Amino acid sequence: MSHHHHDGHEHHHHEVEPVEGSWQDPADDRPIAVARRRFLAGLGVAVGGAALASTGAGTAAATPRPTNRWGAPQRWYAGDHHIHTQYSGDGQYTVSQQVAEARKHGLDWMVITDHGGVAHQKLSIDQVAPDIEKARRSNRDILVYQGLEWNIPGAEHATVFLPPGRGTVDILRAFEAGYDGGILSTSVANGGRGLITRSTSADGEPYALAALRYLEAQVLSGRTEIALMFANHPSRRGVDSPHELRGWRDAAPGVAVGMEGAPGHQAAGISKASGGRGGARGYYDSSPGVDSHPGYAPTATENPYRTYGGFDWMTAKVGGLWDSMLAEGRPWWITSTSDVHQVFNDTLTPGPQDHDKTGSRGAPVDSGVKQSGFGDFFPGFYSQTVVGSRSRSYADVMRGLQAGRVIAVHGRLIDGLDLRVRALGEGDEQGVTLGGRTFVKRGGSVEVTIEVTGAGGPNFAGAVPKLAKLDLVAGPVTGPVSDRDALSAPGTTVVKSFEVSKNRSRFTHVFRDVPGSFYLRVRGSDGKRLTADGGPVMDVVGDAEPWNDLWFYANPVFVDVV
Amino acid sequence: MRWVRLVPEFTSVGAHFDREVLSALDRAGVAADLVLTHVERGDPVAATVVFARITGGLAPGTEVDPPAEGRCARFPGQSSLVGVHHVAEIVEATAIDQVVGIGASVTPDTRVDTAGFVRPRYRDGLLVLLVEPAAGGVFQPAEVEQPHECCGGAH
Repeated sequence: MSHHHHDGHEHHHHEVEPVEGSWQDPADDRPIAVARRRFLAGLGVAVGGAALASTGAGTAAATPRPTNRWGAPQRWYAGDHHIHTQYSGDGQYTVSQQVAEARKHGLDWMVITDHGGVAHQKLSIDQVAPDIEKARRSNRDILVYQGLEWNIPGAEHATVFLPPGRGTVDILRAFEAGYDGGILSTSVANGGRGLITRSTSADGEPYALAALRYLEAQVLSGRTEIALMFANHPSRRGVDSPHELRGWRDAAPGVAVGMEGAPGHQAAGISKASGGRGGARGYYDSSPGVDSHPGYAPTATENPYRTYGGFDWMTAKVGGLWDSMLAEGRPWWITSTSDVHQVFNDTLTPGPQDHDKTGSRGAPVDSGVKQSGFGDFFPGFYSQTVVGSRSRSYADVMRGLQAGRVIAVHGRLIDGLDLRVRALGEGDEQGVTLGGRTFVKRGGSVEVTIEVTGAGGPNFAGAVPKLAKLDLVAGPVTGPVSDRDALSAPGTTVVKSFEVSKNRSRFTHVFRDVPGSFYLRVRGSDGKRLTADGGPVMDVVGDAEPWNDLWFYANPVFVDVV
Repeated sequence: MRWVRLVPEFTSVGAHFDREVLSALDRAGVAADLVLTHVERGDPVAATVVFARITGGLAPGTEVDPPAEGRCARFPGQSSLVGVHHVAEIVEATAIDQVVGIGASVTPDTRVDTAGFVRPRYRDGLLVLLVEPAAGGVFQPAEVEQPHECCGGAH
């Protein structure tokens, strides 16, 4: 199937540059311009208007309201929600260095996320806040959010961030004091609160839910426009149990919206023979610990504690934990970040200051020697979280993230993706895009159109990546699970794979005689490392070359049957 | 054989915990040929308990029935595993009954780089070692001695 576009505007997609869904701007003056997404705003408005006329007027109140309408005016903004600085005990760079690197590597937005803890809460916040304000003033073309890498009580780390506002710093400070797992588990004598056994022990779980409700209350009371939380490196130590992930989302659905589909530290698996650290990609080399969820068990067929093609097991496994949440109809989005602390082959090393006493490592020290043991890439260098937003404002980019208009991309595998899912015949004929919800009449057909644009130039390894294949993954939406620790979606499969040979391609698939609500999502690969059934391979500890195993994952679309 | 159950004062899983437990047993003059760690999740806060199969000396802790499962911190033949060994050798020279590859099958000829740290899984009387592909065409145990720790393991 192909070319099922309607309204006669498909020629725009083939002849007008740049296309909807592309975040590549050839006119951008930065080194590799994955930035300042031009967009066919006029077309989008026209299409949106037509849609209102066809499905909006005169319909009953019970008609489902689609979200993330396809064709709505938006641009694409690349970013990174997980960046450390000298204000982390294990970090080293200044805020201004990280902002410069993010700009250099084509990012439009970034979040400063130093580790929560006693010293950070007491000493670092007051230092990082003015640094961030200064960086904003001197870099008008990038959004710099202030955030926190929160030790989720009872679980892993998470990005928490807010747009700039009068209450931002106060909210972050109070949030960290009240709910950081490091502070809650540190004794009173050592400046903490001594309320939970360990940062990751299960007695912290109620504090995590209270924390997220606190953030949501700040939004509802108008102290901040929006606040978001993404769970970071969720499978690394197995301490984010399925019921915790579900609990966070349910506690604050406007705040807890997703997780890293791919962790940072993607250089850590480069082999020693290739001049790298020879560690594990993503630093995913752990095994079950005392606070790990018992359902995450290495077996003869899989190891949940490893990455697969650079992506976290929860995301990479078709029919795995991510799919089990989506199969409930539960919106839960994935991202990809750098988690940059120390950059592979940089000569800079941490400053000499005592972070525990001063809240900062001080200025980094140039060792003059390339640090091949460092495992990270700079922001935007390898991992990008690309967000569809109606404007380049702090709040709107966050709303795009909240709405799931998000693609996680490694190594510039693609420059653009336009996903459209719509009903053929009775239902939402306009359709929706990434993160959206559309509807079709029972027994009807749903058309999926994937227009993908490959890399128009080299990535930061100096090679032009080639997208080799796309997978269309889909599964039935079966409603809330009774077992909150469910971690599989047996009905979810790769329904179709498309071989990609051209730089710009459009693929169409039609789901016919749709019997019930379902969801679908798209991922793609450079095809260099695939299992026999076309999936990602478990990354080898000590030998995982990130540039020769590139993937992107797009967020899902839900289709309601009415 | 007598099995005892011990509850150490601090809890963890990993090489550091193993060292504490094993040296405490040695100091107490207890001879145990199988020592298992096992996470118990009955209380809100999980804790690691230790099961030891006593072969001599005074038995500390509570005498119990043989445990169904655990992670094995000590087993007969463990000290012979110091570097790279064939699967056949591991099964022959130690109490490990089976070596299982994760996502890739192993043969008796498969080489396993143990790095001197081997923690097989004990289940229903069998010791099974899970291994996975590693750099240089060898396999390595899925549990390594020093996994990467974020912020120095503070949280």
